[in-house]
Amino acid sequence: MVSEDAKRLDEIDRKIVQILQDDFPMVERPWKEIGDKLNITEDDVIKRLKRLNELGITRKIGPIIDSSRVGLTAATLVAMKVPKNKVDDVACTINEYGSVSHNYEREHEYNVWFTITASSNKGLTNILEEIRQKTGINPSDVLNLPTKQRFKINVRFQLT
Amino acid sequence: MDEVDYKILFETNKGLLLTAEPFNEIAAQLGITPQEVIARLVKLRDSGVIRRFGASIKPNDLGFSANALVAWKVPENRVQDVGSCLSKYQEVTHCYERKTIAGKWEYNLYTVMHARKREAIEQLVNSLSEATAVNDYLILYSTRDLKKAYARSTSTVLLPAEASVPSENLRGTREI
Repeated sequence: MVSEDAKRLDEIDRKIVQILQDDFPMVERPWKEIGDKLNITEDDVIKRLKRLNELGITRKIGPIIDSSRVGLTAATLVAMKVPKNKVDDVACTINEYGSVSHNYEREHEYNVWFTITASSNKGLTNILEEIRQKTGINPSDVLNLPTKQRFKINVRFQLT
Repeated sequence: MDEVDYKILFETNKGLLLTAEPFNEIAAQLGITPQEVIARLVKLRDSGVIRRFGASIKPNDLGFSANALVAWKVPENRVQDVGSCLSKYQEVTHCYERKTIAGKWEYNLYTVMHARKREAIEQLVNSLSEATAVNDYLILYSTRDLKKAYARSTSTVLLPAEASVPSENLRGTREI
């Protein structure tokens, strides 16, 4: 199933998005370099990027930072059992924390899953405890699953 | 990393401007040349502080609407091999080993995968299970991105207090 937004991308748009994911040209005029590769003008690349941005496809072009290298060495995945009618409220509370990077509702009795990063394990525990108290979720309905080892993180998609 | 590196990370993390020479403004702000901004970014990328430079894509917007977290129960002495094996698959975007909770939750390896349909996820998980001979697993399909639904701001990378730019946050990109 191809989403409506994806349908509105032509071959050149897809190639641009692919280059932006895989092989960003780190030069003074990156859009010109991309244009040269695709035989279109720099202006055309910029125009298409503005449109892709408006469509919400390329939200931001910049560095994806390894948080462990800027001092955020502790990370955890938390799962909570949240009553269906409380999911929205609980999600709002969780999302108030800048150190929460992802938050998904999933099909399981543990239905809310989110990740926290912090500069220490103590920091993680404090944030989690605060969230737990604010949301009133019972400790026995919470799984705290700290990261032991990262094997892979590489989020990119094949479009062309 | 020095203070200039932090500032470059902070500025570029807001997203590059769609102007012909997007590094010029940052360079002017920091009083260095655009070439130096670029050289420093390349160095940060080569050293792994920047995992990747470019666009982050929300998979859903490009038709990759099925997303699953799969929790695997792997014998302790096989974690390294199984983790490496699972990481080789392109569809697997994340693979982490995590602590378990004895007697309550004993899954120790986690993968995230994206596909256009659930059937594709199921097939993939089947082949991963065969390839690794790990049969004890749990597929946790996402039904909603709660961060996206209720985001008050974009996700934020908070620089720790001991960082050289103490009062500032790095707002922005983190991979899903």
